[in-house]
Amino acid sequence: MAQAAKPSAEPGRRWGLVVDLDRCTGCQACVVACQAENNVPVAGEKQAGYGRWMHWIIIHRYWEGEYPNIKARFMPVMCQQCDEAPCEPVCPVFATYHNPEGLNAQIYNRCIGTRFCGNACPYKVRTYNWFRPEFPAPLTEQLNPDVTVRSRGIMEKCTFCIQRIRRAELDARAQGREVADGEIQPACVQTCPPEALIFGDLNDPESRVSQLARSRRSFRLLEELGTDPGVIYLKGGETNA
Amino acid sequence: MPESAQPRPGSESERSELDGSLLLVERTDSEINQAVLQPMLRGGRNFWILVAGLGAVVAWGLYAWGYLVTWGIGTTGKNRPVYWTLFITTFVFWVGISHAGTMISAVLRLLKVDWRRPITRGAEAMTSFALMMAALYPLIHLGRVWKFYWMIPYPNGRFMWPNFQSPLMWDLVAISTYLIGSTLYLYLALIPDMAMARDHTGGWRFQLYRALALGWRGTEAEWHKLHRALGIFSVAIIPIFLSVHSIVSWDFAVTIQPRWHSTIFAPYFVVGAIYSGLAALACILVIVRRGMRLGEFLRAEHFNALGKLVMVAGMLWTYFWFAGFLVEWYGNEPVTRELIQEEIAGRLAPLFYLQMAANLIPIGLLAFRRVRSTPRLLLLAGLSVNVGMYTERLLIVVGSLQRNDIPFNWGTYRPTWVEISIVAMTFAGFALLYILFSRIVPYVPVWEIKEGRLRYSLRRIGRLLVPTAAEIE
Amino acid sequence: MALFDEGTRTAEAIDELHALGIPADKMTVMSGVPYPERALGRQVEWLRLPYIVVAGAVAGLVFGLFLAVITPHLYRLDVGGHPTVSFAPAAVIIFVFTMLATIVSTFLGVLWEMNFPEFGPKYYHEEVTDGRLAVLVEPPDELATQARELLEKHTAHPVQLAEKKPL
Repeated sequence: MAQAAKPSAEPGRRWGLVVDLDRCTGCQACVVACQAENNVPVAGEKQAGYGRWMHWIIIHRYWEGEYPNIKARFMPVMCQQCDEAPCEPVCPVFATYHNPEGLNAQIYNRCIGTRFCGNACPYKVRTYNWFRPEFPAPLTEQLNPDVTVRSRGIMEKCTFCIQRIRRAELDARAQGREVADGEIQPACVQTCPPEALIFGDLNDPESRVSQLARSRRSFRLLEELGTDPGVIYLKGGETNA
Repeated sequence: MPESAQPRPGSESERSELDGSLLLVERTDSEINQAVLQPMLRGGRNFWILVAGLGAVVAWGLYAWGYLVTWGIGTTGKNRPVYWTLFITTFVFWVGISHAGTMISAVLRLLKVDWRRPITRGAEAMTSFALMMAALYPLIHLGRVWKFYWMIPYPNGRFMWPNFQSPLMWDLVAISTYLIGSTLYLYLALIPDMAMARDHTGGWRFQLYRALALGWRGTEAEWHKLHRALGIFSVAIIPIFLSVHSIVSWDFAVTIQPRWHSTIFAPYFVVGAIYSGLAALACILVIVRRGMRLGEFLRAEHFNALGKLVMVAGMLWTYFWFAGFLVEWYGNEPVTRELIQEEIAGRLAPLFYLQMAANLIPIGLLAFRRVRSTPRLLLLAGLSVNVGMYTERLLIVVGSLQRNDIPFNWGTYRPTWVEISIVAMTFAGFALLYILFSRIVPYVPVWEIKEGRLRYSLRRIGRLLVPTAAEIE
Repeated sequence: MALFDEGTRTAEAIDELHALGIPADKMTVMSGVPYPERALGRQVEWLRLPYIVVAGAVAGLVFGLFLAVITPHLYRLDVGGHPTVSFAPAAVIIFVFTMLATIVSTFLGVLWEMNFPEFGPKYYHEEVTDGRLAVLVEPPDELATQARELLEKHTAHPVQLAEKKPL
């Protein structure tokens, strides 16, 4: 059982995502939702085959056993929003830094493209704009106006849909109340058909993510590296057969 | 000149003994001047053909760079997870090459080692030009090269400063420091020779040398001040050169990438840099000696001494490599084990065995005096070392990045024509700068040679005439 | 100005010129080779260079401290759970800037000490770089002939009136 995620340095929230691997079917709906929400460019078959896909969520797929007794294991891996993020201190221009809500923020217009953060990240969830991203004619109509379209030579990665977090916070503030648990839904969470993804505040002991994080099934990816990720995986039963 | 004319070798046998001595006994100062200046003035058709050939490679490389800037880093073979490839490899290689210049001129100057005299300038020039080539790579590697200035330490429009915790910032300042330091060092020691060249040339060369000599006359006070300044430089530049390659190694070692995250990286890189740098210096000296007919100044004893240094550096490299390898092998951590397996028996094995063979065989060869003092064999050994050290950097940068903690993220890498052209560009560019330099600037530090000669005299011990040094500051 | 072939005779001539009463600052010795200090029987000048270098190093240290220790507080951004300022990265930056300033101040300092660059006409002879030593004497008028005779006694080359040459 994993130790509970550390509260962020600043008082306040620490956003966390719970990924229930026992529920994940590997359907890739979250990947598509994320791509649509965050204006993630499509790399194309050839580039993707060479390891240049741009997905912010990568469904890791492992085969277990020998045919015919074979099982596919799926593990959606997005930016783990580490509290001790190895990618942050190596950036010479502060293009990635730790924001007060415990998010590992990527500031696109500061990035000069050294790709050092990509090497430093043990989860390899940072993607790089190898070419100028292209959105052929009808696709431009569905670009999300709340999210920057990144240019080439810039690192990008999962932001926990920070635009949605901000909107919910602003709405709540306008109505003079706190953001309710479950009110914020990143695109992947909203889309996930088996509800394998749950988003919330890890610093609030009553939130669903906190409760799930305390579950016997919880673990965090490469926790032994000491990166203190904000993404919590749940794995217990044999439901993924 | 009484110093040079004093005890002349009497018989043929004594003369042959003297061929290996440190003295250019039978030459007057003005003959030395001419022996150094004349090869610079003779252009020759082959020289211009060489310049044109190297220029063509540089031009092609610039085209490739333009192509990269136009279309993006995607034109190289990089991917996720192999974010750094040939550019960083070659960057490390050039920074490594640059280390021998300081090693020779500062360390040996400080220790008053006399055989350094004719080779200091060639070594310092190598440092400066290799650093210039190295400094190109961080720029090329950004892709959007015009964003480079965002790293320069001044605040942006929102008064935000760069991140001084980033090893890339350390790199920027350390390499700038080393480039500035080594170029000033080269130039300071050059001033008296610029005056010498000024006094013996005409035309555009005279104008150039006159400007560079800054009005040097060679008064006692000038010499005294120059000596003091060179002394301070020699002391100050040694910690710089140690820090530069350590900082380059920390680009890798500060990450938690398996096989990069190692505390031995800094000294291992420094020793490797000295090894490849000294070997490259030996190669360059052999080539320049032939091209510029400087056989009189660069003699067997210099190559012999340099060869010994290369050999010692090679042994040190082997030791550091082994110390790192042993611990990683013993630790048997899964990803490290996989990487070592890849090297020993996997896809990286050809590169690994090339690295070991090309680095270790020269150490054995250089144990023989005949190899050390035969320019052609020394050239071969030196080239082999550089192939080996380039491969070593390739394995560290590209080899390690292909594997990481999560097997689903493992990747492969294939270089593209853009990367190879740009790498070739810096090799050609280095050679081009170097040969142009050797035609414009006296390649052999004339005043240092004369100074060495002044401080030595020949003394007869039994049947031998031996050079003896005066114990003076 | 007199040209000499080697150091011993030059030193003798200089000693005798001193004995004649010509002050050290009226004599200049030029050579193409650095002679060891005091070899020619002349005073060694006291240099300000070490002070310039130390001042430069301190300035570099202060600038490095400013960059590594002060600037992170001017615009605070947290990275990777590191403290805003910590010893190791700051030490690297401070060290490098100290060394950079040391090197640059040594260079500028020595140029300043030598009054370089200075291209105006100065007393000089081209044969200096061919291995001769030139002794330039600016004697007071009453000693001029004596000094000239003395120099002629010691050197094989004709003693000439020094020419100023643009360098």
